[in-house]
Amino acid sequence: MTAPNDYRSHYTFAMDFGTSDFKFGPITCGENPRIVNNRGYFPDKNSVMYKAFESTADIIVGEDVPLYLQSTEDLSSRLVYPMRNGMIEKGDDTAWRVVSALTNFSLNAFIPKPNNGFNGYYIVASLSSVSPRYMYERLLALFEQNNVSGLIKAVTVIPQPFAVAIGHGVTTCVVIESGHGNSQVCPISKYPIRAAQVALNRGGGDANAITSEILKDAGYGDLANEEAFVRKVKENIGLLPADLDTSINEAKKSPRRFRARYKVPGTRVEIDLEKDSWTRFLIGEYVFNPNHEIFKSYFGRGMPRPKDVKMGETTFSGMLDFGDAIVASVERCPVELQPMLYREVLLSGGNFSWTVPERLEDTAVDAPTKIKLLLRQKGIKNVSVKMTKSPQFSVWHGCIIYGFAVPENYEWDWQRLEGWMKFSG
Amino acid sequence: MGAQPAGRAEIPQNNLGFISGSEKTYVVILRSEDLLQRNKVIEAILSLTSLRNSSQLLYLAAPRLLGGSIDAAIFKPYGIGLLLFDERRIDEAVPSQPSQRSEMNQQVAQSPDPSVVTELASLRSMYAEMERTIATLREDLKAFKQDSGTHMDPTEPSPPTHITRAEPMFANPNLPAGELPSFFANNPWLDVLSKRGRSGDELIAG
Repeated sequence: MTAPNDYRSHYTFAMDFGTSDFKFGPITCGENPRIVNNRGYFPDKNSVMYKAFESTADIIVGEDVPLYLQSTEDLSSRLVYPMRNGMIEKGDDTAWRVVSALTNFSLNAFIPKPNNGFNGYYIVASLSSVSPRYMYERLLALFEQNNVSGLIKAVTVIPQPFAVAIGHGVTTCVVIESGHGNSQVCPISKYPIRAAQVALNRGGGDANAITSEILKDAGYGDLANEEAFVRKVKENIGLLPADLDTSINEAKKSPRRFRARYKVPGTRVEIDLEKDSWTRFLIGEYVFNPNHEIFKSYFGRGMPRPKDVKMGETTFSGMLDFGDAIVASVERCPVELQPMLYREVLLSGGNFSWTVPERLEDTAVDAPTKIKLLLRQKGIKNVSVKMTKSPQFSVWHGCIIYGFAVPENYEWDWQRLEGWMKFSG
Repeated sequence: MGAQPAGRAEIPQNNLGFISGSEKTYVVILRSEDLLQRNKVIEAILSLTSLRNSSQLLYLAAPRLLGGSIDAAIFKPYGIGLLLFDERRIDEAVPSQPSQRSEMNQQVAQSPDPSVVTELASLRSMYAEMERTIATLREDLKAFKQDSGTHMDPTEPSPPTHITRAEPMFANPNLPAGELPSFFANNPWLDVLSKRGRSGDELIAG
């Protein structure tokens, strides 16, 4: 007979359903889980590739997906990213079929050898913090349906910012998770404080949108519609200004020092913004604060303004800057807790990876510094802002710790949305 | 129900063959690393010609890089299909046309048929065009490697880029038995979470 934590030191299993990637694996993976795209492909059964690879599956997930992809035209209907916006519509059965296939794929990738005492994994799945209750219901039901082979002993679902805080080892904090399509601010104090969450309808995709406009204005309109190229340009020339007006003035005064050039490796394609290199500061600013006067000219010329949208029970604000979003979220928490929350602000997600080039330290900043500056403008000074230690895997780490530590008799509760839902044993 | 793999003896090594009913499909694969070796390209062309009479559908599978540099229409008159692949997907750029095997066999057995001679001439021109393309690609690849600052030895084959299927494995790939990952060290949540469900561990209202 093994002690519970001895058992779970082998058989705790985490699944992080990110907007682009699905990270999964048992605790014994160590620091790094396995990772596949969070997507599924519904193959055309008449295609020669489908016949050739003898698949009888209706849906393909994991590393095999590229083997089945056909023309670009049919990708929009056959290749499904179920959580592009962090949420799945209630009646979107196609998306749920992808999620079901991914959970089966992940469990079948780690089937323990027989006769070693295994009687099911403790599974911790992680969803976006704005996921409505029906997503929890559907995901838990899906685990129960997929447990025909007895691989699951118990399962639970936790929000991603909560998992980030656990993975980072901070029990009282504010987590800001910023993905491709949206960003979420979630205060944590031993539990996620769900009623204080603030969601923004802005993310890395909006930085791509303004980069595309800048490229068009600079005479690269032919390249401005290639999403992957625009993203590369954003990552290589985009800057986050400490103060937008000051940075633009400096860049206009010394265009050589701020010159934005990017050559695509292995090609003859080169971007050079020359006298318009000051526009590189707009790329970072737009994600953090789209309210500056200068952005109005872009909206006026057709770039869509980030709108307030309601998804499920959550309203995603379009134009709220990150500073206001943090303040709004913290001020929904008890007053005595607020100073402690400001003292630990954690940034998670690729949308916070802004670098400061040499010789531009006077005008460009990284994401933690920008958040501090935005909060200072609101009168909040005693602030500590950090990036998570392992931005890509911190959610998975948090899920593993949660699954290892939470007592087995802590049963699932629909009101607090926590605890173990047991299926066998 | 999908096609069955053809017997290993029927197809050249490292290529693909499928049988669906009475229909045989062969795919000759030109891999990215083959582009750096002239003999491999010749071998792929010869494999195509040798399989022409024994299959109904015949494909050349080539890296997408090559597809952008050659005129795919050259394959059409000869019924050879063209599959283009990269790390993300495989496309059927030119469909293969079924061949009339028995007729062709008879003609070949008797005397050199003019159409076969024409086909050979065309294959020669295909080969010449591919050689030119490969020379250009070599130059581009060299320039790319120099740009990215990594040295490439042209005598060494590149690592294979094909996708492997994940095999089910035991859940202990990285950590020694009994060891916990480093992110457990000094993590205060272990204590906090272990008290879940006890009185005093209450959720903040809100």
